[in-house]
Amino acid sequence: MNTLTFFVIFVLVFGILFTSLINDVYAQNNPDILIHIATQADKQIQNQLNEIFNNSIPVEIKLLYDKGHLSVKSLKNSLPDDVEKSKKDFLTAMKSFKQISKIISKSTSTTKITTSEISEIDFSSQLDRLEKYIKTLKTISKKHDTSVDFTKVYDLFKDARNQVNNGVGNPSETIDQLKYHIISIEEKIRNSSSHGLSDRIKQFVNKQVNSIEEKLEKALESGATKTQIDKAHKLIEEIRDLISKNQISDAKIVFHELNKLLRNIELSVD
Amino acid sequence: MNLEIVPISRKEFLKEYGILFVRNNCIFYTMVKVSLLIASVIIVAVMIPIHSSLGSSRTLDLIVYPDGSTHISTQIDVDPLANNYELELFGSTIDNLVVVDENEFLLDVDILDDSALITTFGSSIIFVDYDIHDLVSKQNRVWTFSLNSPSDFTLLLPKNSAIVGMTNLPIDMQLINEQNLLTLSSGETEIDYIFSTNNIFTPLEQTDTTLNFDYFLYLLIGGIVIIIIIIILITKTKRKSVKSISETKIIDPIQKNEIIDTETIFKLKPNIREDDKEIVKFISSKGGQVFESELRKKFLQPRTTMWRAVKRLERNGIIEIEKKDLQNLVKLRKNIEEEE
Repeated sequence: MNTLTFFVIFVLVFGILFTSLINDVYAQNNPDILIHIATQADKQIQNQLNEIFNNSIPVEIKLLYDKGHLSVKSLKNSLPDDVEKSKKDFLTAMKSFKQISKIISKSTSTTKITTSEISEIDFSSQLDRLEKYIKTLKTISKKHDTSVDFTKVYDLFKDARNQVNNGVGNPSETIDQLKYHIISIEEKIRNSSSHGLSDRIKQFVNKQVNSIEEKLEKALESGATKTQIDKAHKLIEEIRDLISKNQISDAKIVFHELNKLLRNIELSVD
Repeated sequence: MNLEIVPISRKEFLKEYGILFVRNNCIFYTMVKVSLLIASVIIVAVMIPIHSSLGSSRTLDLIVYPDGSTHISTQIDVDPLANNYELELFGSTIDNLVVVDENEFLLDVDILDDSALITTFGSSIIFVDYDIHDLVSKQNRVWTFSLNSPSDFTLLLPKNSAIVGMTNLPIDMQLINEQNLLTLSSGETEIDYIFSTNNIFTPLEQTDTTLNFDYFLYLLIGGIVIIIIIIILITKTKRKSVKSISETKIIDPIQKNEIIDTETIFKLKPNIREDDKEIVKFISSKGGQVFESELRKKFLQPRTTMWRAVKRLERNGIIEIEKKDLQNLVKLRKNIEEEE
């Protein structure tokens, strides 16, 4: 084996390893950020403890806080020279603070609630999310030049914001109206942009149908039942007919049916 | 008749007492086809990015709202030959789902529990946006964000939120409009945060990216140094071999003079086989020494047959075998004794 071959293999192997090493190194070091987060958490926990317990912090919590606080100090000292130690210190501190938060929460409240249970009451967040949704739809609409009118939706947003900020009217009702309008906007965009999408789907389905026909021939040779193959051919004919009539949505449904049947045929042959 | 039992493979290393000696490096040469090895490594190198890219998130960005609902934006590479793509959602409470392809066509989606079947029909990249209510829980003042992410992701926490607990190391953190934007690695992540009315935002000091950069730089330099060393080693080895070749070339004429011509050899060894005579003639024409592999190529003989012929000639005292560059160098002997 000549040296050039060795060299080629080495470069390839090194290339593979090197790219993964870069990711690994990047993902593990950013020391100042660790100090920032840990110090912020330390301050917050200290504030919370002072607020809740004043000067009579329970021993268990005190011990945890001291452990976390010392780890933050150690984190500051260990940087920038000892990155590995700083990572350990960071995780120790953050875990201690996390434990403290859990203990405090449990002592004052017994139930843990998920966001879905509380989101109903936060209209502001709900509006933020809907605004982001409508922004995405507007970008799509602009891209396909659909001329869908967004004025009504933005008016409703304005009304809802006013209602939330000033505490007047019924924001829930306005948000429901907004949702209704957004759905109709999405439908309009879908219809307006369907022409371009149809062309792509036509191309895709035609290509796939040709390859499916080849698969069916092979399946027949491999012992698939003629009834199944005939059924598949009928579906192919139907798809071609629907595409020629530009009934893309129906063609898609039949295409899914054909794929299911093809899977069954392949399974029966295996 | 002196019969010798010879194993089928690697007979060169069978010593005279019949013990099978196998060199590890020779196993490598024998068993691993070089071209196959290179092809495999190339395939692995090419397949790694393809494998990790198809069906995987290129980007994953999360925005947590003050009520704990989370907006997810992700970009995914999908198989352009597939009809649909099944996306695992991060929960089952989904709102405002929009899926578009690379041409920003709205794609059809069927949601079943916590998975979405997206009709891709030839798309190669899809962009998925949705809101989810399953990632954040609240207990008293503490909000907990939990996610088992398949890839690295960014997380924008709400305004006035302060992190008070974390289970893993962040990759990066920035402060955008009084909101913490964290970059986190894949896997299980749990972050506790609270909303604070106190002024919790101290400006984030200039991130010391030098350490990061240093590691990268060290690795890069290390890699380059290793490659340079290998190149130097290769060059040196080549020079040495060139030297040794040139040395042999100088020696050759002297040796040539010393080599007995084939006719004399055949006179001294009249019982030599006709096919062996051809081998001797060829060695002589090549200046009295050739590699065994050259003989195989010339006479189109299998390894075993040629090895037997060479051994026969060695037993007859016509040639001697030397090891050179892990190969058998077959040399005509300078002093050939007359057959009794």
